[in-house]
Amino acid sequence: MTQTQNSRPSRPGLVPGVLSVLAMLVLWTLASQLTDRPQTLPAPWEVAARILRLASGGELWLNGGMTLFRVAASFALAMAAGMALGLWMGRSRAADHWLNPGLIILLNVPALVVIVLCYIWIGLNETAAILAVALNKIPVVTVMIREGTRALRPDLDDMACVFRMSPLTRLRHIVLPQLAPHIAGAARAGISLIWKIVLVVEFLGRSNGVGFKIHLLFSSFDVEGVLAWALAFVAVMLAIDLFLLRPAERRANRWRQDAA
Amino acid sequence: MRLDLEAKSFGPRQVLGTLTLSVTRGERLAILGPSGIGKSTLLRILAGLDRQYQGQLQGAERLAMVFQEAVLLPWRDAVANITLPTGCDATTARDWLSEVGLEGHETKFPRQLSVGQQRRLALARAFAAGPDILLMDEPFASLDAATAARMLALTDALLNRTGAGAVLVTHDPAEARTLGALALHLGGCPARFQKD
Repeated sequence: MTQTQNSRPSRPGLVPGVLSVLAMLVLWTLASQLTDRPQTLPAPWEVAARILRLASGGELWLNGGMTLFRVAASFALAMAAGMALGLWMGRSRAADHWLNPGLIILLNVPALVVIVLCYIWIGLNETAAILAVALNKIPVVTVMIREGTRALRPDLDDMACVFRMSPLTRLRHIVLPQLAPHIAGAARAGISLIWKIVLVVEFLGRSNGVGFKIHLLFSSFDVEGVLAWALAFVAVMLAIDLFLLRPAERRANRWRQDAA
Repeated sequence: MRLDLEAKSFGPRQVLGTLTLSVTRGERLAILGPSGIGKSTLLRILAGLDRQYQGQLQGAERLAMVFQEAVLLPWRDAVANITLPTGCDATTARDWLSEVGLEGHETKFPRQLSVGQQRRLALARAFAAGPDILLMDEPFASLDAATAARMLALTDALLNRTGAGAVLVTHDPAEARTLGALALHLGGCPARFQKD
């Protein structure tokens, strides 16, 4: 057996990331001290104090929890529908020809239009909110999975066919592992897009959630409050990316790094 | 199994002409001919991978195939590479691995195996399927001479032991002789079996 050399560069660790966040904080502090009207740009510690007050009062958990629920539900819906459509369109030329115009239209309809129409047609309720977010995301997932499906290895298909593997075994052990990088890419690109759209949906037609709170704070021009809610939720989404999505991606790609 | 082929074309170009081929358990055939003549196309028809032809394919034998490359699942270990495609249990898979000299490599991924070991894993997978007829598409072509000779001897021994029939596609008459296979030469345009 051949001995492969480990030529991977050493990992930089956390240092650059921490330093760049610190630099941004310094910049923010300087700007907040130089501005004439402190209420347009409060200092970082004032925002931090506000986040602590929101957290200790329980308001952060209730509204953050509702937003997180909407993110999770629309994410699951968008990934499931997008993967099914993408697989179908990648495998069947006819399906691709029939569905592609609709896909292109959906990709280009502004998010706001989809949201407004969902609220008008379905009503100002949770179903409309979640569906509106998912509809904005489904075309993007579909395109990414379709491209991945078109690149599936034909030799593995032949092998599965000769050995008469069942459709379910094929999907699980041949198709999905090949699509894993595309699925992970769609998931990570999707989660950040989805939470931004969820906020708009809440802003327009919900009575709780981070977007609803920002709506209230907007009417009183409370920048400190807007920043507090936004940053608190950015932290939650970063944590999800770091502790859920990235480890899942690493696990899915483990076999690539296992050369002896 | 028996194939009565009338014609096989790719677009306007007819590749294979009228030919008949039949093989049963215990029989060994070798399809010989120059590159591009349609040997692999004929094997793909036999394997059921190509159904766009005029003619008839009969037979309900269990088939397995060894491809030009190993065609393994890179994301599964050696045992799973046998159990998943063939549906056999892990114990049977381990037995076949030791049969081809891969004991101790059960939990390795294909990338951790040398090219020769990957080919032996592909051979183990084919036999684990319990085929009546083993289809082989130039399985020794891209191997060095020593590895090819070992693989050929191993294939011969396993075919003897299991009693399976074989159809070997190759451009090397020596491989056919070593396996004791009846040599059929493809030639002409469209290609037919030539009389020796």
